[in-house]
This record gives sequence, structure tokens and C-alpha cells, in this order.
Amino acid sequence: VVDDHESFRRIARKLLEAAGFVVTEAASGAEATREADRVQPSLVLLDIQLPDVDGFEVARRLAGQRPGPVIVLMSSREASDFGGRIAASPAAGFLPKDELSGAAVRRFLIRSDPR
Amino acid sequence: VSRRLWAGLLAGAVAATVYTVGSFYVNNWPGTPGPAIYVISPTLVLVAYLVVGMVAWRCYPTERVGLLFTVVGYSWFLPSLAKLHYPLPFTLGNLTSTVYQSALTHLALAWPYGRLRSRFQRGVVVWVYAWNVASNAAAMLFWNPRTNGCGTACPANLLMVDGSNRLHSATTTVASIIGIGTTAVVVLLITQNWLNSGGYVRRAMTNLIWVAVPIAVYVTILNVANNAGLSDFTVYGLGPLLLITAPAAYTVGLVRARSARSAVGAALVGLEPGPPPEQLRAALAKALGDPGLQLALRQTGSGHFVDTRHKVIDPGRLPAGRSLTAVNNTGEALLIYDEQLAHEPELVRVATAAAGLALEHARLQAEIQVQLEQVRASRARIIEAGDAERRRLERDLHDGAQQRLVTLSLALGMARDRAAGADPELAALIDSASKEAREALIELRELARGIHPAVLSETGLAGAVQALAERSTVVTRIVSLPAQRFPANVEATAYFVISEALANVAKHSMAPAAVVTIRKLPEHLVVEVRDDGVGGAHPDAGSGLRGLADRVASVGGVLRIDSPPGSGTRLEADIPCQ
Repeated sequence: VVDDHESFRRIARKLLEAAGFVVTEAASGAEATREADRVQPSLVLLDIQLPDVDGFEVARRLAGQRPGPVIVLMSSREASDFGGRIAASPAAGFLPKDELSGAAVRRFLIRSDPR
Repeated sequence: VSRRLWAGLLAGAVAATVYTVGSFYVNNWPGTPGPAIYVISPTLVLVAYLVVGMVAWRCYPTERVGLLFTVVGYSWFLPSLAKLHYPLPFTLGNLTSTVYQSALTHLALAWPYGRLRSRFQRGVVVWVYAWNVASNAAAMLFWNPRTNGCGTACPANLLMVDGSNRLHSATTTVASIIGIGTTAVVVLLITQNWLNSGGYVRRAMTNLIWVAVPIAVYVTILNVANNAGLSDFTVYGLGPLLLITAPAAYTVGLVRARSARSAVGAALVGLEPGPPPEQLRAALAKALGDPGLQLALRQTGSGHFVDTRHKVIDPGRLPAGRSLTAVNNTGEALLIYDEQLAHEPELVRVATAAAGLALEHARLQAEIQVQLEQVRASRARIIEAGDAERRRLERDLHDGAQQRLVTLSLALGMARDRAAGADPELAALIDSASKEAREALIELRELARGIHPAVLSETGLAGAVQALAERSTVVTRIVSLPAQRFPANVEATAYFVISEALANVAKHSMAPAAVVTIRKLPEHLVVEVRDDGVGGAHPDAGSGLRGLADRVASVGGVLRIDSPPGSGTRLEADIPCQ
């Protein structure tokens, strides 16, 4: 979970751990790439607005990794507020923050790797 | 001119005229009067000089030119004293028969204001007066009118000491030669004065040249023995008419000086308002007949006066023959002109007043221009500051309340799931709280978007307009949409135009669809929103369109609304954009 709001990360961790995921947190774009290198996550929940670089840039960097994680962009804004940028990014999709749930995350995993 | 002088001049002129005419017809000389031309020509000459003298006296009371014309007139009159059949007036008339030629010389050398130009020329004038009387006197010492003139009917010559014709013809021959030489010198001096004249006086001097040469020729013919074989009718009947050309030329100059004043006005009427200084200078130079006229403006900073051709002017050290006047009482501008123009104070006054007005106009225009620029810039800054403030507000909402509501909503969701098994009533309660939180989040999102569309800063105009079209309640077709980014204020302005226009289409037009076109021209971004609804939109009808027009104007653009009732609405914003 990449987000600079600590309270969101906490609730997201609780929610996802309750759904059976192992969760690592990062509070900035730089930390996200470092952590991704270290733990090789299956999926990254990536807030678009970060204090250092934006989520699109982090997604671009993560997409360069092999094997790359499934990237899901998140925001408390709507997808339409980002025009075509989400579609143009290497992310698998967009998830409004308030719709975060274990089921939603699982759907992204299944969709990107149907095996 | 004092009333007494004026009355005296008038009375003198009338008396001299009456005498000249009367003495021709009513005299106590034997014989009959000759053809009328012998009285008409001299009378016309007399009247011309005396009248122009009076006019000149009145126009230039401080100058001597009126006096000179009057002197020529009376000296022209003096010889007719000889018509009186008595020895004394006869002698006096003959003694002064050529004094008018000296007065003419004086007038010509002092043309056009009655002032002699140098010591030498003053000397020449004194010489000419003295010589004329002296040579006449010398000749009269040996002139017996009864044997060499009018016969026994003649009165006596009171100056005669020896009536020898031989001595008389010798003196007159010498006098003629010296007279012709003097005339030649005078013509040379007049030519020199003409060549030396410049600026305003040049025209008057040119007038003089035109008349001085024929008059000099006439005077020379009078000096040549036997009048160069010309008949008396030509020399004494028609010849004097040549002398009238001088007062005529002077009158032409007077009229021209008068019209120069109105020419100043006309020159300024022809100028554009608040003309550039060089244009103003050229117009004044033409109106004043002084091509060398300079207009010097004080430079801010250095304090130097610089003319319109970028030459530094030192008001304390003007070139010879130039005078200056401050154009306005602030002393910020100077008019430098031919010093001869000082003889026309009224003309200079009109010109400086006109220049002052024109410069003041230009100054005010420049000042207004500066103020306008300042207002424009401050308006643009205010709008930009407003935009920045809106962006900050939206971001604050996003980072603060929105994030907390998201977290709250997620926490409530988890709480509901946990309570679901144990306490269904509590779960229902938490569920309704969660829904409230979600509603609040949606409303807050709309509010934030209204304050500033994040999509605009995120993706630029193209993405923002696409998002607008998708969200709009009327079907919106985008015909053309440049993908590039533009300056923030241009993007914001274009965005608000489209946003407001689409909102109006949805609210008022009853049109099913709208068409958005954005075109990037070399210097402009043209944004157009069209619908085929009921039309009738008017910028004054609501604050929305007027606010939009202000917003477009703040970036130097124009908003056009074409909305005839019943024929749809076309809103077009033309926004300057490199």
C-alpha cells in the first residue's frame, strides 16, 4: 500500500490482512520502489498523489521490474478527474479509495493473471 | 497705435491725396492738364503707400515698417509741391524730387519689419538720403528753369547761382552715374539680405526680390539721360505704377502672416490626436513657415532637452538667429524658432499654445495607457491569484476532509462486517453511518471539483474538456481538441467558458446536444460551444455570461455570444495564446 496518509495505510492494512493478504506499506514514491525491490509484491495499491513523485511516475518505474507487480492506482478523486492518464499508464486499473476491499483487490489479481 | 496718431495719419493721407488730384486739375500753371494717367498713377502710388503704412502701423505697432511706408508716401508727395506756382514751393519740390527713392531704399533694406540689419546698411541708407538731397541741390545751383525746363512760365529757382546749361548737365551726369551705382549697390545688398534670410522671413524676402528688381530698373531709367529713349507717357504715366508692387507685396505678406495663425490651427486639426513629437514639429514648422523649427523635450532622468531628431539642445546657448519659448509653464518642452518670428508674437503664442495642447494630449494618452496596462496586469493577477487560491482549496479538501472521510468510510465498512454476525441491529446502524459517510464524500468531491477541477491541473485542457463532456447532462460532441498544454490561465479560462456554456445548454437551451470546438490558431486559442436550442441568451441577462466575459477579458480575450431567439446559441471565446 503506497499512500502518504498514515491513517489510510493503517485501515487498508487491517482490511487487507483480514482478507488474507500480506501487506507492506510505503509513504512515498521513492520508498515504494525500494520496498517493491525488496519484497517483490504481487500487487501494489498506489495512491496517485504522493509527496515526492506522482503515482503515474511510480507506476512507470515499477512496470520496469521483472516480474512486475500488478499495479492498481488509487485516489479519493474519481477516475474521470485524471482524464486519459490512467488508461495511458501501465497500471492494471483504478480503484476509488473508498471502494477498497479484499474482494476488489482479488478481482484485480485474477483479471491480470487468470491462472 | 494711439488715436491721435491714427487721426493724423488719416488726415494727412486724405489731404495729400486731395492736393495731388486737385493740383493736377486746379493749378495756376498755364496750359491744360495732360492725360489723366499722369494724375491717376501718382495718386495710386501715394494712396497705396499711405494706406499700407497705416495698416502696417496698426498690425505691428512696435515695428518701424508702418513709418517707413508712410515716409515713402509723403516723400513721393513732396515733389508735387512744385506744382504751386511760387518760387519757394517750386524750389522745394524740385529739391526733394528724388527723396522718395532714398525712402524706398530705406524700406527695402529694412524689409520686412523696418529694422536695418547692419551698421554698414545703416550707413548706406544715411548716404542715400544725404546724397539725393545734395545731388539735387548741386544740380539746382546751375539750373535755370526758364531756359532749361518750362520756359518763361516757370517760377524762379531760388538756389540758382549760375544758370549755365553746361555746368548743369555736367552735375546731372555725375549725379546720374553715382545714382546708378548706388542703385546697383542697393540691389546687391537686398540680394544679400535675401540670401542671408532663412526660416520665417524668407518668404517675405522673396516677395521683396520680386518687386525690388523692377523698381530698381525703373529708378535706373529715371537716372539715364533722356530716360533711355522711353516716352514720357511710359516713364511718368505708367512707370509709377511699378512702385505700387511694393505695398502690394507687403500686403500679401501680411495676409500670409494672418493666415499662418489659422494654419497652425488647421495643421493641428490634421494631426492624429496626441501626435508623435516629430509629427507635431513638422506640422508647426510648415504652419510657421520655419523649416528649421525645433521642438525640444526635457528627458526624464538626465534633464537634458533633446529635440525630435535626438539632438541635445542647450537652452542657454542657441545658434545665432534662433529664439526659444517654453511650450507650457512646466518648462518640459521648448519651441526653438527663427528669431524673426519674435516680430509675430501672436503667431508664436498660438503655436506654443497648440504645441502645448498636443503634447499634453500625448502625455495624458501615455499616462492613461500606462494606467490601463497597470489595471490590466492587476486584473490578470487578481484572477490568477483567485485561481491559485481555488487550486489550494481543492487540494486542502482533497488532502484533509476527503482523506478522512475515505478512512472513516472504510473503517465503518469493516466495523459493519464484524458486527454483522454478532449484532445485526448494530450492523444496520453502522451501515447507515457508512452510507452517510459515502454521500458526504460524493458531495465533497463535487464541491471540490466546482472549486477547481483537479483534472485541469492534472491533465490539461484536453482531459478536462473530455471529463466535462462525459459528465454533462446533454450529449456533447467534441469536434476538435488540441492535446497540448497551454499556460494555466489560458487553460482555466477556456475550461470555465466550456463548463459555463455546457451548464447553460443543459439549463436553458432545451437542446438535446452541444458541440465543442477548440482550435489553436497562431496567436489565439478559439473555443466555441454551439447548440441548436431556443437561443435568446444575452450577456446582460445573467451574471454568469457577464462574469465569463470578464474572465475572458482578463487574459486579453474576447467573448462573443450569438444567440438569436429560436436559432440556437453560439458562444465563442477568443483567447490570446502564443
